[in-house]
Amino acid sequence: MYGWIWRHLPGNAWVRGVIALVLVLAVVYALFQYVFPWAEPLLPFGEVTVDGASAGGAGAGQ
Amino acid sequence: MTARTEHDERTDASAPPAPRPSRHPIATAVSVFGELLITAGLVLALFVAYSLWWTNVLADREADRQGDTVRSKWADGPGALDTKDGIGFLHVPAMKNGEVLVKKGTDPKTLNNGIAGYYTDPIPSALPWDDEGNFTLAAHRDGHGAKFHNIDKLKNGDALVFETKDTWYVYKVYKSLPETTKFNVDVIQPVPEESGVKKPGRYITLTTCTPVYTSKYRYIVWGELERTEKVDKDRTKPVELL
Repeated sequence: MYGWIWRHLPGNAWVRGVIALVLVLAVVYALFQYVFPWAEPLLPFGEVTVDGASAGGAGAGQ
Repeated sequence: MTARTEHDERTDASAPPAPRPSRHPIATAVSVFGELLITAGLVLALFVAYSLWWTNVLADREADRQGDTVRSKWADGPGALDTKDGIGFLHVPAMKNGEVLVKKGTDPKTLNNGIAGYYTDPIPSALPWDDEGNFTLAAHRDGHGAKFHNIDKLKNGDALVFETKDTWYVYKVYKSLPETTKFNVDVIQPVPEESGVKKPGRYITLTTCTPVYTSKYRYIVWGELERTEKVDKDRTKPVELL
């Protein structure tokens, strides 16, 4: 998979390395900016209130 | 640079010296599967970093900004109660977490800004200036500012000081409950009998999750108002905060 990506990047090893680095950073950015904020309320790590309600994706409780 | 190095290594691992067309399909499948597993591991590690570090960075930044807004509105000295943008600041010296802005509501959006919220549901909180009732607060134990992270450091007799525009409310901890279920709504009753009190009074209740890094149970700390002090021109802090 990663080998396939590497072979399909243009340029010599240096150019490919730079492009790969940019791709990795883009993925990390997307994770931190969009994926993790979406996933976090679905996981039972941040509920701090007593509310008697079921978790049901309510995040930190309501 | 690190990321690139990892990338290179992965490339090497998945591209053996043998010419590509001769590779067995099963070998390719195993290789791709292995790379997906490595990727999943990295993503989970990143999620831990996000939860325990990055959300704190964002929340502390936002809490500072919102706190500054309130402070600048109070800058004209003590005066009539001003609860817009937040009702005041909670200072808990034993938690060593500075001041925590308190706003209305305990929904995730509010609490994720690195502040504490007072309950509106299922039992509405009393406010410190009410004649009697229970001032009930929630904040995060980890991530999103982790304002109540050190709640387990609180002992009976420790001060919980709440600062509004014109008054310092000095509460003293009298009981902690290290573990209860989230269904135990009685802990935020106006008279929290579970803490051993029977009569109406001016109480404060802190709730957060426990054990650390999870939300399996809730950690509760109760305090009772000891005295109030008027805020003076210089906002001189009560002795508990000196």
